[in-house]
Amino acid sequence: MANVNLTIDGKAIVADESKTVLEAALDNGIYIPHLCHHDDLHPNGGCRLCVVKQEGVDGVITSCSTKVKEGMVINTKEETVEKVRKLSVELMFRTHPDECVGCPKYGKCQLASISQYVGDAGREFRQQKLPLIENEENPLMLHEMYRCILCGRCVRACSEMRGVGALKFEKVDGRMKVVINGKDLADAGCQFCGACVEVCPTGSIRDKVGVFKDDPSLSREQRLVPCTEGCPAHINVPKYIRFIKEGNYPAAAATVREKAPIPESLGYICVHSCELQCKRNHLDGPLSIRNLKRFAASQDDGSWKALSFQKDATGKKVAIIGAGPAGLTAGYYLKKLGHEVTIFEKLPKAGGQMRYGIPSYRLPREVLDREIAEIESIGVEIKCGQDVKSAAELKAQGFDAVFVSVGTHAGNRLPLEGNDLPGVYLNADFLRAINLGEPLPVGENVVVLGGGNVAIDCAESALRLGAKNVVMTCLEAPDKMTASEEEVTWAKEDGIVVENSRTFDAIESENGKVTGLTVTGIEGLKFGPKGPEFTRIPDSTVTFPADTVIFAVGQHPDINEEFGLELNRGRIVTTDGHKTSVEGIYAAGDAVTGTRSVIAAIAEARAAVSEIDIFLGGDGNIEENLAPEQVANPCIGKNPELTTTHRTEPTVTDADTRKCNFEPMDLGFDCSKAGCEASRCLQCDLRVQISPQKFWSDYISEEGGQQ
Amino acid sequence: MKNLLVVSCVSDDYKAPLSMYLLKNCLSEVVGGVEQYAKNLDADIMYLLPEGEKIDDLKGDVRYTNACSPTLNNPYSVVQVLTGNIPRPMIQDDYVAVFEDKAVSVVTPEAAYGIKNGFDEKFVAVNVGGNTEIKKVSVGQTVGEVANVDGAKAVLLGGLKGTFYAPADAASTKIEATEKFSSITVYDQSECMVDVLVQIMNKTYEMSCGKCVLCREGTSQFKQIVTEMTTGRAKATDIDLIKEVSEIISVGAYCPFGQNMTNPLTSAIALFADEFEDHIKRKTCKCGKCYKQAELYYIDPDECIGCGDCIDACPEEAIEGKDGYIHMIDQDLCEQCGKCVSACDEGCIKTAAKLPKLPKKRTKVGKW
Repeated sequence: MANVNLTIDGKAIVADESKTVLEAALDNGIYIPHLCHHDDLHPNGGCRLCVVKQEGVDGVITSCSTKVKEGMVINTKEETVEKVRKLSVELMFRTHPDECVGCPKYGKCQLASISQYVGDAGREFRQQKLPLIENEENPLMLHEMYRCILCGRCVRACSEMRGVGALKFEKVDGRMKVVINGKDLADAGCQFCGACVEVCPTGSIRDKVGVFKDDPSLSREQRLVPCTEGCPAHINVPKYIRFIKEGNYPAAAATVREKAPIPESLGYICVHSCELQCKRNHLDGPLSIRNLKRFAASQDDGSWKALSFQKDATGKKVAIIGAGPAGLTAGYYLKKLGHEVTIFEKLPKAGGQMRYGIPSYRLPREVLDREIAEIESIGVEIKCGQDVKSAAELKAQGFDAVFVSVGTHAGNRLPLEGNDLPGVYLNADFLRAINLGEPLPVGENVVVLGGGNVAIDCAESALRLGAKNVVMTCLEAPDKMTASEEEVTWAKEDGIVVENSRTFDAIESENGKVTGLTVTGIEGLKFGPKGPEFTRIPDSTVTFPADTVIFAVGQHPDINEEFGLELNRGRIVTTDGHKTSVEGIYAAGDAVTGTRSVIAAIAEARAAVSEIDIFLGGDGNIEENLAPEQVANPCIGKNPELTTTHRTEPTVTDADTRKCNFEPMDLGFDCSKAGCEASRCLQCDLRVQISPQKFWSDYISEEGGQQ
Repeated sequence: MKNLLVVSCVSDDYKAPLSMYLLKNCLSEVVGGVEQYAKNLDADIMYLLPEGEKIDDLKGDVRYTNACSPTLNNPYSVVQVLTGNIPRPMIQDDYVAVFEDKAVSVVTPEAAYGIKNGFDEKFVAVNVGGNTEIKKVSVGQTVGEVANVDGAKAVLLGGLKGTFYAPADAASTKIEATEKFSSITVYDQSECMVDVLVQIMNKTYEMSCGKCVLCREGTSQFKQIVTEMTTGRAKATDIDLIKEVSEIISVGAYCPFGQNMTNPLTSAIALFADEFEDHIKRKTCKCGKCYKQAELYYIDPDECIGCGDCIDACPEEAIEGKDGYIHMIDQDLCEQCGKCVSACDEGCIKTAAKLPKLPKKRTKVGKW
């Protein structure tokens, strides 16, 4: 590529010969107004704003579509070109609404910005406002084409950039319009990529309210890729789904592993907040992201290991209390950072709630064992059966730092009459006993108090231990239960009765034996500062017969003041990140936040690891690229199956079989199901590739405040 | 990359329908010129004809389109049409329009004929009183020798991009090989020039491809302003507005059509300043063509129930009123589109050449 010399506004400029006059000017801090031009689209030339005067050439030239040439002398502020620009803006505003304040794009509109820069000659043209028609046919995007100034960026983005061509120009009643290219959206083949929204300079094509979070603290990338943003550990979901689609499963597994050291376990039991954020929720249901992760992780070939960093030994020693997801994650990364790590675990084996809370029919223990072994294999020492009574004392034994991740292994007992009778259990104790191989006895009739996933685990486990009738009852209405929808569905298939909107009155007993649970119907449930508030429904009190009652109404850390750390309502108090009240002792996971999720514990632990590393003199950086570079092809083409392929459901063992044992019941995806589901991804991350819209103030501030 | 030469028969000005004439009457010369040109370019040949036309002896790749645009002499515009889009040009020094992996060039039958037979002769469409006659003339002949302009009111040379001449000036003008001389349109004394321009601007608006703001919105504005001159709503300042804006458009528009589409209007205004002024200021048309259809819409105050349906239907927001009050049409804003008439269930929106007595301020239903 050769350089050419030219002059723009008296300034001598050297530019590559492949550049346009507009690019050469902008690169050199000379702003030329432009509107139909977009960095990622082929030049158009229709807006007439980028016209400039070239010495020796009659009329004006279009700077966005004229290449630089040796010896060119360009004037961007000559009188004629200013007149042309003013006229163009003036004419655009004859059809575009005058009132900016009511427009959702107010403050972010390129037309408004340019009109401020170019000005208006105030001629007495005719108002030719367009009818105020909103088109809501697209579930993700709103078309308010009465704001359209026909720059054609959306049409070009959809056809040139995406290869879809779902939008086109058409004359409607004589007037040029941008319309859907087909008899309806499906016919037009919209792939819901949002490129049209991203390039629209006005408020004509917008994301519908609620599709993306309107949170100014989020970066553009976080806002536009909701699944990744929704994941506490910010796993790059579109990237690994694309790898699955391409059939590169190990690369997909490696992508997950970049943010979490137990990908396959997550694939089984993650609460998948990513799926709640998936843009396809607004179409036909989210991607089955968790099952895709599980399939990918099952295909891991370990090729990521060659890329995994391992820093030299630092000579620092870190103790970790608790080998649950937070402790294992912290141990893994601290070891990679070069610190010597010892994890102290009270229970006989590592895994925390993943082993002693979550039943084995949801998470096969061989999967967990394999992933823990992987962590141990890099030199993380796990000492089981070690009950640490005081974190502060442990630190004094010669550790440079201590990380506390003791989880919440004590169940909450509600202050109900009869709550301490034999046959009344706490969730944590009940589930732990099963996983220790010594299940607590259950009767024929079991009532579980609670509406979360742990309550379901208790109910399902009771069923598997031989209970005949299992009832779950909770304050929440069916749509407000914290248990995931699919788990509730499965529970009902298994014959578990869910009694919603009830408050618990008393555990009934006869001769010291539990006989039932009395509840009363409620309405208007709200959670205020002092706990739940509701109205009791008169004459709705019933007693569910029961010989076993299980509290599944929350858990708390199984520690007290003796542990040596400041506690608040039983939880460890942290400040300034993950620091506890004692210097050098950090804490994260459920023990700090209350019962949350495995992925949240992992994310918190990663953050805490960075803090601990910095405390120990490191740089705190645990980011790593384990997956190969991925080139996401922006040209997605028109795939009619994208919208007609609905969420793939995993293969699940039928209710009669699964409710009798603790064998895995959700068999996940096979290769073809995974490929099919992966191809449903709308690839929201492609939109991030599109150059963000710039305003004249952006260019001029680069110039250092030129007016 | 291979080359493709498209013979575009869909870019004619509506006053100069030469392409199909040449294919029908001089096919061998056109084909000869096309083949000669294609050989130089090492290009395959494709003919692009208007839908519904058929030339039996035309062999090879012949395609048809409903599109018709002055931009269809631009390769990109032709490719747009061939790929099912609407025509719009791309003017860029290094741009290569590609269709089916071939680089596209465009030639018109007229140019192809010239390639074969030289450019000393030329075909001219002579439009008189609604009839079009295509004549073969020699370059250098005067307009007066080709068309009878004696006693005419005006002569338009060049169709939608053309210029109006006084008959005497036109008669002595020598015909050149350029596109401007492909059509001669003679207007007789009975024509109202404002009305003529309404028709021309309607056609220009229709022909504008819509790509460039100045042409798209300029034609739309001119069309409306000239139409308003025939209904009494134009302003005295509109003549200066047109002149000033035309000058900018002729420099700033994207393509030759946009740059020249102002010519008929500005040249007519220059030649017939008085006639335009009469329309605007005295609201009269000496030819009796305008101010005829000026049917005014009004809401019968005795029948209006104040429901608001017409307000919603009016695209111009020309109807004023609120619930339970007699609605009123602002005649300055009304475009006589008639949408309110169909929206009114009471049938109380009527038309008249002269408005009856109507409420001037908000009046409750029943209080009139």
